Amino acid sequence: MTGTDSTTPPEANPKVRPPRRRGTGPLAFVWSSVVMGWRWLVRMRTALYLLALLGLWTLVATVVPQEPNVGQTVDDWRTGVEGPGTAVSAVLDAFGAFDVYGSPAFLATLLLLFLSLTACLVPRIRGWVRLVRHSQPPLTRNAGRQEVVARLTTDRPADEAHATAAELLRGSRWRVRTQRTAAADGLAAAGPPAQVAAEKGLWSREGGSLLFHLSFYVLLAAIVFGQLLTFEGQRAVVEGARFADTPVSYWTYQPGRWWTEDSHRGWVLDLDEFHVDWVRDPLAPGAGQPTLFRSDVRMTHADGTVEEAVVEGNRPLVVDGMKIHQLDWGYAPLVQVEVDGEVVFEDFLTATATDGGHFRAAVKAPAANPDLGLSVFFYPYAPEGDDGNPVPTGAPFADAPLVLFQMFRGDLQLGRTQQTINELDTSALDSAGGAWLREGAEVDMGDGVTIRFVELRRWVGFQMSVRPQIPYLLLASALLLGGLWPALYAYRRRLWVVAERDVTDGRTIVTVAGRAFQRPQAFDDEHAAFVRRLARELDGELVRQPAHPPAHGPAGDPDGRPVGAASAAASSAPTVTADTAPAGDEAPERR
Amino acid sequence: MSQDQLADLSRLLYSPVTLLLYVSAAIVCLYALSTRVALHETRSGRPVGERLQRLGIALAWTAVAAHVAHEIVRGLAQNRLPLGNMFEFTSAMALAGALVGLVYLTLVRRKPELVGFVMLAAAVVVSSAMLTYADPGPLMPILDTWWRTFHVTVIVVAAGIFTVGFLFNGLHLLRDTAEQGLAAARAVPTGRSTVGAAHIDDLAPGVVDDERDRGADDPGRDVSGRVAPDEDHEVATLPREAERNAMRAAISPLRLAVGTFLGTSTVSWVFVATPTTTLQEGLTRALTVNLVLVALALVARWFVPFLPQASTLDGLAYRIIALGFFAWTFGVIAGAMWAEQSWGRFWGWDPKETASFLTWIAYAAYLHARATKGTRGRGAGWIGIGAFAVLMFTYYAVNLVFVGLHSYAGLS
Repeated sequence: MTGTDSTTPPEANPKVRPPRRRGTGPLAFVWSSVVMGWRWLVRMRTALYLLALLGLWTLVATVVPQEPNVGQTVDDWRTGVEGPGTAVSAVLDAFGAFDVYGSPAFLATLLLLFLSLTACLVPRIRGWVRLVRHSQPPLTRNAGRQEVVARLTTDRPADEAHATAAELLRGSRWRVRTQRTAAADGLAAAGPPAQVAAEKGLWSREGGSLLFHLSFYVLLAAIVFGQLLTFEGQRAVVEGARFADTPVSYWTYQPGRWWTEDSHRGWVLDLDEFHVDWVRDPLAPGAGQPTLFRSDVRMTHADGTVEEAVVEGNRPLVVDGMKIHQLDWGYAPLVQVEVDGEVVFEDFLTATATDGGHFRAAVKAPAANPDLGLSVFFYPYAPEGDDGNPVPTGAPFADAPLVLFQMFRGDLQLGRTQQTINELDTSALDSAGGAWLREGAEVDMGDGVTIRFVELRRWVGFQMSVRPQIPYLLLASALLLGGLWPALYAYRRRLWVVAERDVTDGRTIVTVAGRAFQRPQAFDDEHAAFVRRLARELDGELVRQPAHPPAHGPAGDPDGRPVGAASAAASSAPTVTADTAPAGDEAPERR
Repeated sequence: MSQDQLADLSRLLYSPVTLLLYVSAAIVCLYALSTRVALHETRSGRPVGERLQRLGIALAWTAVAAHVAHEIVRGLAQNRLPLGNMFEFTSAMALAGALVGLVYLTLVRRKPELVGFVMLAAAVVVSSAMLTYADPGPLMPILDTWWRTFHVTVIVVAAGIFTVGFLFNGLHLLRDTAEQGLAAARAVPTGRSTVGAAHIDDLAPGVVDDERDRGADDPGRDVSGRVAPDEDHEVATLPREAERNAMRAAISPLRLAVGTFLGTSTVSWVFVATPTTTLQEGLTRALTVNLVLVALALVARWFVPFLPQASTLDGLAYRIIALGFFAWTFGVIAGAMWAEQSWGRFWGWDPKETASFLTWIAYAAYLHARATKGTRGRGAGWIGIGAFAVLMFTYYAVNLVFVGLHSYAGLS
């Protein structure tokens, strides 16, 4: 991350500034703190710590229920109904652990991470641009001293060998530089020999890494702008009922800051029928598993046109840029409550499924005096037992539906306590007995109260959403993946081809030298393949180098080298010809 | 054949056939390794060893083929891709790991002597899937979509690749400990890192080329110590018995056993916490998992002298994990696209989403650590181990313990 060269003296390197004279006083202290903070921020280690911290927040959010997701569970933790107890929950609350992604600590970590990323990227981008624009493949003075070296002999002149090599390399998209002779370019006699120098992967690895990291800014921008323009609303619709896209008709409603009433599309949805089915055979594999959820709907567009449509899981309906998802479903028994001959409540209940296989709902009838409330359990399948009473089961199909309720009289406290639609606050209510009902039946509860289970339908929970950020998120994902691949797999390498006429036998000796900055194994194969191609083009013959003396002690594990007969043959045969040599056979000499 | 017969056949193909093949491939390959008859030494007059190694590789391919056959038959038995519950995920993960490991070691990096470890890991994962075995059955309609096929396949393959990466990470750390211990015993100065340990000249079976190593400052390069093959030397690489014992002695078996037990306990507690098992069942499972892995760690310790040097294993782990990271990233993005299609929101911080993000962060930290001075080598190796623990947490804990939209374990 440092842009300066520490090996040269400061006066030779204009990038190194002379030491600043230290001031005194509070301003200098603040300034030096900022500088120190910035230096801390740009360190790679800091980025690692911040990543670890981000991981820690994420771990907390995985283990602790999150309020925006499962508000009910969080309430249960706070009240001690579930979870580790009220004391622990209070501590968790104090640290904002129930809403990690909305907590200042998380946002601060994210901000620091982006700051650190920016501080890291700015000099890297500058360096990369300079490299791509101003550098050219460096020449070699002694090709024989490079890391990977292979030699071949040919009868063609040196110039032709250079030209062929340059052509081959350009064809494989290498950056190529041809150097005729040192003297021709006005260099000293001791300058580099005539050669072809080439470089590849110079910008793709680092460039890919930069692209990968830059895509996070696109991702962030898409998410932030998306939050402003987005809309999401939910509403449960009973079979046969209708829903219009107006702000007041949603049960829950999360508009972005820039979403206005005019942004609604104004269509109307009629839910004709909801289909649901299960594997009914109790002996079949997957018995009881659902096999079908489908809503048949009629859409009336703002311009009056009507069309039939289907909404299924994974298959949302798109209407004027608004997506309609089928998220949830349940049974909707129509319950009527009559007090002294007057109907005080008549509505479809949107009973929601519980873990036990039954459905829960509540009736709240403030029109009665005193208030009347029913806590309702709905069992889709409760066949009659031997004694004539229903036996509730957990089976989901509505073959023998049963409404089981507990009646309460008193104060419903509507508007004073937080209650969901299917929840009854019984703290100020008196129990007034319970009963069960079959479809079409009624029961007299005394006190002039009659309760009827009129008919059974189903309801579907729809979610309507508009997310204009999706295309930009896709773009960010494409940039991210497109950058990640070269960042991991592209590699920077150099090749030099030096051809010289051998004065003893008049043939030309071509040295192909190379060096890889990453992935030396892959480069070995590439180098060998190039040497073979060049030898074929020049009708050349590969020269096996004399064995390199083990100057560095015993040689190590021949990592990445071809094994078996091929390499054994290569190491025993001093010279192999290009045509018969299998891949990687040249066994380039290394120093 | 009827569906029932296909179901029976798929079960038979899985266990015992596939499992036994993995185990026998592991035994043959590891035996070949223990006599140090890797393929590139076969010209030194060891045709039996060559045949053993070849037999091991052939067994490995047969095991993978049997595993593929199991997946196909199971798919036919339930008329869908066998990626719908935890048993099927784990099975596919083992297959992906075994296949990628086998292809990588035999065809890409040409280190066939390490295949035995991959087969051993595959056998462990295959048998662990039996803990969550479920008979073939239909799919929840919400899962029945092309997006699921795509997202789940990519994620499962990535998890399989990460498993191989974990294996190499573990072997790297073991070998590194042995090399450092040996260096310390001989009073050869080394740095803290792997690279330093590999510098020791008299440390069998090899050394790293000095010049190459200085170039290792470049982020992400392979530090794998390549030196030109030298025929005479290869016979000499057979570690002498005293040397083998010295390397093993550098790793304390007690520390290794206790460390592995504690390390695997960080994840195996999920079996105790799973709501669908009783406390006793859960404890038995957790303890079994811990003890099996401790035994395997001790087996790996015995094989340490026959392993390639630490820096090579480090490079293998890095390359495999880089591939897994790419696949995981792709899989998470595909999951977000599916979520958008299915639930109308691309990201909702659901426990599984959160945990998969956590796994991504952990592996990103590994890749960064490997490019950062001071954390390269051993440090990065430990981060890789931690990242795999996070992956296992994501896989088991979130499927079995935490309630969320991804609770599709298929257990009831």
